[in-house]
Amino acid sequence: MRSPPIPEMATQEVQLSETLAHLKTESDTLKGKLEEERAKLHDVELHQVAEKVEGLGQFVMKTRRTLKGHGNKVLCMDWCKDKRRIVSSSQDGKVIVWDAFTTNKEHAVTMPCTWVMACAYAPSGCAVACGGLDNKCSVYPLSLDKNENLAAKKKSVAMHTNYLSACSFTNSDMQILTSSGDGTCALWDVESGQLLQSFHGHAADVLCLDLAPSETGNTFVSGGCDKKANVWDMRSGQCIQSFETHESDINNSSEADREVAIYSKESIIFGVSSVDFSLSGRLLFGGYNDYTINVWDVLKGTRVSILFGHENRVSTLRVSPDGTAFCTGSWDHTLRTWA
Amino acid sequence: MSGTMCSSNSVVQTQKLVDQLRLEASMERIRISLTAADLIQYCKDHRRSDPLLTGIAASSNPFKDKKTCTLL
Repeated sequence: MRSPPIPEMATQEVQLSETLAHLKTESDTLKGKLEEERAKLHDVELHQVAEKVEGLGQFVMKTRRTLKGHGNKVLCMDWCKDKRRIVSSSQDGKVIVWDAFTTNKEHAVTMPCTWVMACAYAPSGCAVACGGLDNKCSVYPLSLDKNENLAAKKKSVAMHTNYLSACSFTNSDMQILTSSGDGTCALWDVESGQLLQSFHGHAADVLCLDLAPSETGNTFVSGGCDKKANVWDMRSGQCIQSFETHESDINNSSEADREVAIYSKESIIFGVSSVDFSLSGRLLFGGYNDYTINVWDVLKGTRVSILFGHENRVSTLRVSPDGTAFCTGSWDHTLRTWA
Repeated sequence: MSGTMCSSNSVVQTQKLVDQLRLEASMERIRISLTAADLIQYCKDHRRSDPLLTGIAASSNPFKDKKTCTLL
């Protein structure tokens, strides 16, 4: 049984409730206004404007290489800028660097945790970053000496309070962007491990992120379990734009200079786990939970091809830096390059 | 006492939400008909540099198998 509140506290409570009520009204008004504005601008569909655009020809793409070696689900992969090397990470706790042309394994690191959900190649090609259930993002410099123990040179850069879901180097080896199950994204200085900027705004786990492609690019997009895709200014930490979708989670996001595109087709029952655009932005590749890869014509909104090969869910997909091929990682423990 | 704490947290959170919404409402937006034209132009401009669209000869694509000649 609560004792009666002191008169001053009662007044304080009333004031707070009033403020809260005002703020709620204002937020509702603003939300309504935003919806109205967005509806007004939606004067036409992209595929309508693209009607006169030349259609795409036949697509013949197939698996060119299969990379075998992981002992469990492949969760993430990234290309090296040399368009040939690939880093991949798995539920089995291993991070492997491959030569995608020869399928040889060049380096392997065993992480102190399982479910290494994120990995990234440094722009110089001299290091890789990875993390997962350890709540950290660690950087491993790659040594030319095959006998050297990579784990010895490991550098812990990022610290989150929940799992690491994605990581990416910015334009240089010096900074890393991370997203986490703790609902935040963060920018870190690799050398010192210092937190440079944090990004708050998601209401739930952030599952993925992607940097805007331009050299002067200072924005990135993140997607999360709160059904929102947020565009952020890296310097200020501000959320510049927020997109809400009707799909359950945003597992992957990809920026094509001006727009964040999320595609769905009514007949597709299974969810997309990963997406990436081709170099011109015309093609969108999606890795699905039904083990297939769907290739979409971004402008016309139609599917141009469906690719089979993996024997389980496709968990990660990235187009190579020169756009000649793309690589997928799967729960079937393998990676495949397609061209 | 705890009642006040909860209320002040809610106020802080809602204030943040309102600030964010104000920011978004003040952003300049462009009609889709215009941005769509932009997107189409971007795809056209970069079409030639997209190997997956234009295709490359099997001999110059390191991922595609080269055809081998056999001397009889």
